[in-house]
Amino acid sequence: MNSHEEPIIVVPCSGIGKTFGSVSREAAYEVCDELRPDTTRLLALSKLVLGEEEARERVRSGRTVTIDGCKLMCAAKLVAQSGGTVVREVAVLDVYRQHKDLKPDGIAELNDAGKQLARVIAGEIVKTIDGAGASSTLGEDNHA
Amino acid sequence: MPEYLQTTIDKFTFKVATDRRYSGDGIWLQETADGRLRVGVTDFVQQHSGDVAFASVKATGTTLSAGDEFAELETVKVNLSLPLPVAGTIVEVNPALDTTPEVVNQAPYGDGWLAVVEVPAGAIDRVGLLDPPAYFAVMRSQVEQELNQQ
Repeated sequence: MNSHEEPIIVVPCSGIGKTFGSVSREAAYEVCDELRPDTTRLLALSKLVLGEEEARERVRSGRTVTIDGCKLMCAAKLVAQSGGTVVREVAVLDVYRQHKDLKPDGIAELNDAGKQLARVIAGEIVKTIDGAGASSTLGEDNHA
Repeated sequence: MPEYLQTTIDKFTFKVATDRRYSGDGIWLQETADGRLRVGVTDFVQQHSGDVAFASVKATGTTLSAGDEFAELETVKVNLSLPLPVAGTIVEVNPALDTTPEVVNQAPYGDGWLAVVEVPAGAIDRVGLLDPPAYFAVMRSQVEQELNQQ
């Protein structure tokens, strides 16, 4: 468990029907299900969209990592609007710009490059979760 | 700062700068003080295509015929091949595209220009470019057609 005791909340964008949104969700699953299941919890953005009080309380009381598939940065904005503290914002597009060979494709099923891009993002997020880069931003945008 | 023709259709607002001319497929051309042409894409093209991941323009010194691809935009949705509406030679490429290609989305009529092209004298008047009101009408038609398909 990290020094804050509470698990870090990971919020990917909804991005339903969008390739880059699928990458954001894949990265979130990779972090929460595979890499750091004991120190993270996945939160569906739709719960914040709907204003579910339990979800809002979770982001208010803990630290949050957001992963957004496009520049609208819905996940980061909604966490901030819900009173949460974003310790790291990830913009999938910015990470892709650093890994041009990993062009994602597909929606229901990402291609191999998309899955690899998700793993790259997940690896960067783990660094934050493990305390190596807290309060930093992956990519260029920081709306926190 | 240019002035704009502007329309809001559904939830989208599209602008057309009034200080340049256009091709029907959304390339704008603006004469510079030294008689060259600055070239870019319209607000409609950048909105329709989505966030730009990479922008590549043919190297300076490249001579192209009208209709040849002068640039390619890779966005989150599509790979967009951009034809040069008029024959000419690329003499400058926007250096910002390498590090901040999103500038095409942020300022398509300003800092998001793509290239400067040298063309033979009078060439721009011979290729049937659209003035802003004419392109505005074309764009509206394209937007409405797009929305009707959804």
